[in-house]
Amino acid sequence: MPTPPVLDDLISVLLLLAPSAAVLSLVLAGISLRREGTMTFTIGGGFTKWMFWAVFFVTLQPLLGWFSSFGITTPLPSGGIATGWIGSLVADISQFITGFVVQRLVPTLAAFFVLRAVLDGASGQQPLASILTAMFLLGVETTYGLLQSYNTGTPYAMADVLDSLWNHLAGTIMPLAAVLALVGAILNFATHKPFMRLVAVSLAMLTTSAIWKLVVSMM
Amino acid sequence: MNLGAMSFDQGILNLANWLGNVIMPTLAAVFIILSVLQFSKGREFAHSMYAALASLMISGLVRAMETFASQAAWNNPDLYWLSLLALIDWVANVILPVYAASQVAAMALKLGVSSLVHPTSGWLRHFLTAAFCLMLSGVLRLAEFFVTQGTGGIT
Repeated sequence: MPTPPVLDDLISVLLLLAPSAAVLSLVLAGISLRREGTMTFTIGGGFTKWMFWAVFFVTLQPLLGWFSSFGITTPLPSGGIATGWIGSLVADISQFITGFVVQRLVPTLAAFFVLRAVLDGASGQQPLASILTAMFLLGVETTYGLLQSYNTGTPYAMADVLDSLWNHLAGTIMPLAAVLALVGAILNFATHKPFMRLVAVSLAMLTTSAIWKLVVSMM
Repeated sequence: MNLGAMSFDQGILNLANWLGNVIMPTLAAVFIILSVLQFSKGREFAHSMYAALASLMISGLVRAMETFASQAAWNNPDLYWLSLLALIDWVANVILPVYAASQVAAMALKLGVSSLVHPTSGWLRHFLTAAFCLMLSGVLRLAEFFVTQGTGGIT
């Protein structure tokens, strides 16, 4: 029995809305980064949860390939959406996410986080967390492009994207964070606060991949 | 606003550059002012003075950390230990001999100002500090020797 066209259209809608959902997840991940309190993220917290969903939505189609290996045929509809109003609904929602949320709302949100950084400083807290959140929000579009570039399109795409994200974090972000840790060490030294921890952390940030290999070799 | 041209990596890179090349040299002036004020009140001023130097040398310090962290291949499990070892080696063999020279100078000043050659006049502390700075490896080996001797237990 052929699949009813409405069902085909609904499946197409969900698949076509996946990129918008991924972008929205990245925005929510950015907000969670600050809400979790510090400049780092909590494993199992909001940031990791929304990043996971962003990766999930980016790799949704390849993930469906697993059903074929389970013996369940999942023919994905091709040829676009037959029902006109459903097609325009997808276009409208995508336009809303891109034009309103990403282009207009996210920069404003980032600006509020910069304001929050100033207020953080006024209340004796670290302003860096809010600044990093603002940067993450402003870079949402590029981060989405990065996730897409890591998508291998195989059933293992989700794990591949997460692997590549780890590599990006360890190889690109961590060495830059090491500089920030050194700046923090100098400021702590000047203000008679413990600074050796930050020096050790700086070295650890520069050798994250080696520490991973060390843990693996211990197993 | 062209959000497509903005990336998180570039943002952090520019933040690190701005902190290291703009803010830290400015803060160095603040630390020097603080050290002068603390010196005038007879308080401990060395922290501010060294912090000012470190603030001006932040790029060099980053390069030093990169050198310490490049003692082996990136996937060598011992890399973190080797980088810590290189850091300690650098402190012990480069920084401490220079510190020893400053302690000898401090000892000479103490002797010259107080002209009191007595163990309690403070010159001896500077002398011993300089000696320990130069004998650090020897002191470590001595401690290792004592521990090795004690591995047999009390008989």
